[in-house]
Amino acid sequence: MSRLESAGIVIAAVDGRCAGPDFERALEADIRLAADAATFSAEGVADVAACARRLARLLGEARAKEIVLGGRTFDAATALRLGVVTRVVPAAALTAAARGLADRLAGLPPLGVAAVRDAVRAARGLTPDAALALEHAHFRRLVATRDHRRAVEAFFERRTPVFTGE
Amino acid sequence: MGANTQTRWWVDAGVGYIVIDNPPMNVLSDENRRGIREALDDFRRDEVGAVVLTGAGDRAFCAGADLGEEQQLTDATVGTFLARGEQTFQVLRAYERPVIGAINGWAMGGGLVLALWCDVRLGSTRAKLGAVGVKVGLMASNVQLARLFPEGRARDLLLTGRTVEADEAYRLGLLSSVVAPERLLDEATSWARGMAGRPRDLVAAAKRAVNQALEPEPAR
Repeated sequence: MSRLESAGIVIAAVDGRCAGPDFERALEADIRLAADAATFSAEGVADVAACARRLARLLGEARAKEIVLGGRTFDAATALRLGVVTRVVPAAALTAAARGLADRLAGLPPLGVAAVRDAVRAARGLTPDAALALEHAHFRRLVATRDHRRAVEAFFERRTPVFTGE
Repeated sequence: MGANTQTRWWVDAGVGYIVIDNPPMNVLSDENRRGIREALDDFRRDEVGAVVLTGAGDRAFCAGADLGEEQQLTDATVGTFLARGEQTFQVLRAYERPVIGAINGWAMGGGLVLALWCDVRLGSTRAKLGAVGVKVGLMASNVQLARLFPEGRARDLLLTGRTVEADEAYRLGLLSSVVAPERLLDEATSWARGMAGRPRDLVAAAKRAVNQALEPEPAR
């Protein structure tokens, strides 16, 4: 498994067997990709409770229990179906796919990316009203940024914008 | 039956239909947001059992906010802008009868938010969904996606702003059914009539219960 960071977002690219500490590290990433021959298992994780909690947040309760309590090794196609990874590619294309995703993230407005990451992380612990208030607070701040204006101008001028995080 | 310059609505066999009609991409405006709210008021009087919401034409369900309007926002006006959008979304959520989104083309940005506040979403094979806010340095549909979906999927869609085509949307559960474009309204009607035919109090209670299930559980 390799980890790639871009714009503050961590991408895990899973190749081969991903179990125990590797599985835990993969789950810590923001986005996970896998090679078609990759396999996954919760067996051997250091902190079972933390792993279960993380999986429940990432996949929902039923799937978290299936993985942690079932203890089976599952293949990449199953990981995609369960939502453990969001994309599966042939092994030879994995590095390029992860790199491509990192480049795409790097091309997005950094303040927006950071706001999304923080708000998704916070959303689960908030009431719907509080989550909405948080989203609106981010929106108010972001709509006044130079990058947002650049994005809109570029859209109307049909060109690719360049962002600076302002 | 009613209409304004960007919205049409009517009732047929116990089902209310709303069409957002702001060509070419059906962007949100005061006019069509007001149309949606007025339509729901009319439907309540007519005692419809379910509502179908769709976009005119075959390009877009709703392409979200008008970027030109959004660019003009100032510190003084952004609050009103958000509140007006929110008012319509909350009306859909609080409406006692189920609302079915018939996603006939693009649903992006604020248009995706509108789709996500529908209780069930069906799509034509032309449906394309995207949480595109991040691409223009904004954040939208965050709350809805983070609550409707497990966090792993929400992160993928929100952080990349990527386009989800109909077949993937079906696999992810963003759409409950995908049919050919010419069959979309029939499919939506069939779902709506099914819902309208069930005991109304039970359906209303189920909708309310699911809405409230999104509240976090009290700490134990």
